[in-house]
Amino acid sequence: EPAAGAAPNLDLGELRSLACDALLQESFYQHKKRPFLYRDHDHTPGPFLTQLVSSLSSSLCGRNPLLTASSPDIKPEVNYYWHHGEEVVVHGYRKGRVDPVRFQIDDKPHLQIRIPKQLPEIVPLESDLGDVPVINHKPSKLPLFKKQYENKVFIGSKVADRCCYGHTQFHLIPDKLKRERFVRARLEDQIEVVYRANGIASLFAWTAAQAMYQGFWSEADVTRPFVSQAVVTDGKYFAFFCYQLNTLALSVETIQNNPRKNICWGTDSKPLYDVVEDGNVKGFNDEVLLHLVRFLLNRPKEV
Amino acid sequence: GVRQAQWLTKTKLVEGLPPQVLSIMDNPAHQLENQEERVMHAISHARLWNTTEVAPRRQYYCPVLFEDLMHLCRLMSAKYPSLTKRMLARNYKIAATWERESILLQVRGLNGMLMNSVAPIPPVASKEEILATEEHVLETFYPISPTIDLQEVNVYKELNDMGFRDGYPYSHPHTLFFLESANIRPDRFRPEQLRAKMLMFAFGNALAKAKVLYGNDPKVLEQPIVVQSVGTDGQLFQFMVFQLNTTDLVSSDGIKNLVWIDSDQNLYEKAQCVPEIKKRVVTKPAGIYGFQPDTFKKFLALYLHGTV
Repeated sequence: EPAAGAAPNLDLGELRSLACDALLQESFYQHKKRPFLYRDHDHTPGPFLTQLVSSLSSSLCGRNPLLTASSPDIKPEVNYYWHHGEEVVVHGYRKGRVDPVRFQIDDKPHLQIRIPKQLPEIVPLESDLGDVPVINHKPSKLPLFKKQYENKVFIGSKVADRCCYGHTQFHLIPDKLKRERFVRARLEDQIEVVYRANGIASLFAWTAAQAMYQGFWSEADVTRPFVSQAVVTDGKYFAFFCYQLNTLALSVETIQNNPRKNICWGTDSKPLYDVVEDGNVKGFNDEVLLHLVRFLLNRPKEV
Repeated sequence: GVRQAQWLTKTKLVEGLPPQVLSIMDNPAHQLENQEERVMHAISHARLWNTTEVAPRRQYYCPVLFEDLMHLCRLMSAKYPSLTKRMLARNYKIAATWERESILLQVRGLNGMLMNSVAPIPPVASKEEILATEEHVLETFYPISPTIDLQEVNVYKELNDMGFRDGYPYSHPHTLFFLESANIRPDRFRPEQLRAKMLMFAFGNALAKAKVLYGNDPKVLEQPIVVQSVGTDGQLFQFMVFQLNTTDLVSSDGIKNLVWIDSDQNLYEKAQCVPEIKKRVVTKPAGIYGFQPDTFKKFLALYLHGTV
């Protein structure tokens, strides 16, 4: 995974203490009621993530001027609508006709940072990156894309906003998909899949929507790659993803001569700390914090 | 309204913000770069661009505006690193109890967001001003009882709780934020009642802190405790600085507490989401009208108070 942003002379001790303070406040010091059913993620990890990102970004804004010009969003909506592949209409008055398959992603990241300038590309636009697996049946057979309401494209704010490029998204894994459930059902290998699927889908929707805001679409493909980052976490385990959108041309007509592919780099989920006991955070993992800091410091070279 | 809250908390009212806060506001070193442009961007983001619908509703735009303004304030920590020693606590619970002329009063529960800091705000009023409050006579509302419209409950525990456990490093309440973000007007507090609510909760926080620091006995405080409060409905802002001088609240004589209130400050006059068109001519294009930069300067000054 490519290194994102240099980190000279960082006061890691201070950043660590900010992170620990945020964690201790949310999980230990503040008096809270018991969490609601299946809402554990709103009780502690959610506020911790918000607090962590706000304190880290405010203390790092001196090093990354892009953060001072950035616009944070709390629980924004991100939507994207596209066509990919074909199907034959099964019943109804249009039976027998060929229609493109329509996809719509409606995402609600926990936190998102948008910036006025674009992040630099990681690999050149036309590089050859390998093959994408092909699935031949309709997407509504998998438990996704079953219901489609409104076809929307939205990055978190309307076109008039000057912070129209994405920097980093932060996603929170909901309570029903937490690790303990997978371990109990003996599906440990599926834990990473959740993080990866979340990362890829959300980042594709975000970068593609950003490209659409700039005027590109499946007939007019992107002339420069769109890059964004994401952190997927459940409060303790963090997984980092970096996405480069090289092509929007996914509809049946345009995909035939399109050699470009989009690419996502990601890490496995690693714990930020071991346990919180009696007002102390035990087993704090500096590497994960450093990774998060490097993500926040990522910026184009000329800034 | 506020007069009732003043009687209940034994407080004297001073109009306008205290001179320390005003001097922070006027100091040009305490401004962000392109401050006005950034605040306009934040307002436009909250009021115009935040949603896929045509215009965002108050329950969405009020918190978004607040978060954006807080983000702008936090950017000042590049200049003043000790500003990072602040922590925002959402959904926190406060409990404070006191007795006022043989009526037992309590302030409890979830109210707004609290910003805590490691260091306390230094007292705002001088010693002479504090002693001068001794002559001030509290307004009474005879024959209306001062506890009118308060909820009468049988609560068996006289609780005083800051909302956090001991050993919390950010132990001084700095500023309380109240967002009136209900969509329909009857669900929101009127400005007068919002100011009264701000006063009561600022008092509750200061009192709970005083009892933690100095014990439960009623006395005049050597080091008065200062808690600030900001309330808004997304457009109109109320600013308040409260100083607790005494915990001797049973009698109505003696030293009183002080509060400085700056009320009904508009951040902008109108946010036009769709252009107004009359007879096929655009009379008013979309945008934010009537922006008042002073209101954000006061917000920032209250944020910086205690650190600069």
